[in-house]
Amino acid sequence: MANVKEYARNKEGSNIGKIVVDRDLCIGAASCLAVSGETWELDNENKAVITGAGAGANAVDDATLLMSAESCPTKAILLFDKEGKQVFPK
Amino acid sequence: MQPEKYKYLIIGGGVAGTTAAETLRQNDKKSRIGIVSDEPHLFYSRIMLSKPNFFLGKIPFDQIWLRKAEWYEKNKIELVSGNLATKLDTSTKTITLSNSQILQYEKLLLATGGEARSWPLPGALKAGICYVRDLDQAKELIENVKTAKQAIAIGSGFVSFEMCEMMRMAGLDVTLIMREPYFWYPLLDEESAKMIEKGLEDGGVKILSQSEVIEIKGENKIEGVTLKNGNQIPCQLALIGIGLVCNLDWLKNAGVEINKGIVANEYLETNLPDVYTAGDVAEFNDLVLGENVQLGNWVNAQMQGRTAGTNMQGEHKPFRMVSFYTAIGFGLNIAMSGDVRLKPNSKVIKRGSPEINSFARIIVDEKDEIIGATFINRTQDMSPINKLIESNFKVSGHESELSDINFDLKQLLPK
Repeated sequence: MANVKEYARNKEGSNIGKIVVDRDLCIGAASCLAVSGETWELDNENKAVITGAGAGANAVDDATLLMSAESCPTKAILLFDKEGKQVFPK
Repeated sequence: MQPEKYKYLIIGGGVAGTTAAETLRQNDKKSRIGIVSDEPHLFYSRIMLSKPNFFLGKIPFDQIWLRKAEWYEKNKIELVSGNLATKLDTSTKTITLSNSQILQYEKLLLATGGEARSWPLPGALKAGICYVRDLDQAKELIENVKTAKQAIAIGSGFVSFEMCEMMRMAGLDVTLIMREPYFWYPLLDEESAKMIEKGLEDGGVKILSQSEVIEIKGENKIEGVTLKNGNQIPCQLALIGIGLVCNLDWLKNAGVEINKGIVANEYLETNLPDVYTAGDVAEFNDLVLGENVQLGNWVNAQMQGRTAGTNMQGEHKPFRMVSFYTAIGFGLNIAMSGDVRLKPNSKVIKRGSPEINSFARIIVDEKDEIIGATFINRTQDMSPINKLIESNFKVSGHESELSDINFDLKQLLPK
């Protein structure tokens, strides 16, 4: 995965430590935005990025974040736990 | 034969149906949930079907599966696949399937989606005439792309746009044939459409507007077409993208109110008790647009699946979302939000311009509120514009900010 963007998540009580967007897979369908507009926005290349230059990584709870990743029709959003283990997609 | 009894039965295994099942299971760990799907597949990404990278093998084929068999098992969601629902009897609360099996429901969701509109011409069943609505059609198209040299694409919309790019990337000569005067007429304006047409032409696609095929040539396989003006175009592949139709014949005697789709209120309830609808088939009361609409799009279907699932469990939550479409191809990012149809009293605020290859149109209604927008290479504006649509933002006094591409639209959002 060459073309990826990584975001650290340090929300208290969260099991998710890192959010990764595979920009080659992202097609700007914007389903993640629809689930969590607090977390996601599109950049000027029509790719999903985290809002507030990464600050949005902590905006929502784990369930909502997972739901936004699950909603992606190309599985371009990957979630990792605090130990670096991939938790989505499995 | 005793019918199989389900608490929640869902007809349709696409994104609306699967999301509904998922929502139901999240809140009810025990009850029996079933999904009936006429396709012999697990839930897959229909949206990926029209993406060139998928067609050309740049994305692994397996990326298309969005839920694995283990997911259905683990969540105890029973998938009855490869079976068509053929009858709904609301007096016994039963659904009959094409294999004569009878399923009984307490709550029913109709999320049957739509199918690609067939090319209404004699000979349209010849080999090489392809659609890209479901996985099996996509596989057929992949095979045809391998052998064809010349292709035509019929229609001016998302499907033909994205497929033109795929066929060009595969090295085919591509001619786009459309009845309309310009691409995406009448949803787009001519200025925006010309940007798209330039993208298509720079990418090597020949565009024939205001043109129509009247004859398909070839024995069993398409070899060419004749246009209304008499011109002939040789081709071994025709990609048809002329819209969606819903098969609702099986519901005609069931008492469900039907128009072009299945009619529902903002809670996605149909006129019948315990019968809900969601996704492309739902013709629902759109609270944002203030009218009954039917939308063919992934995100809408997904979010409706969630609302329907919630309401089937006794909630009474209206579906409210600014609908939008996005497409990419030929170096262009295209999106449309809300209601983009111009009315006599509509006002259009332009943001950017075709000259700088970055152009949005913000459509304002007579109440001084934004009701829709189109974006070409300006999709970063979509999210804030959608929020402005949703919050009934009053435009007066903000025209210059809205038209200034250096102004950050997020500053207009309610705090």
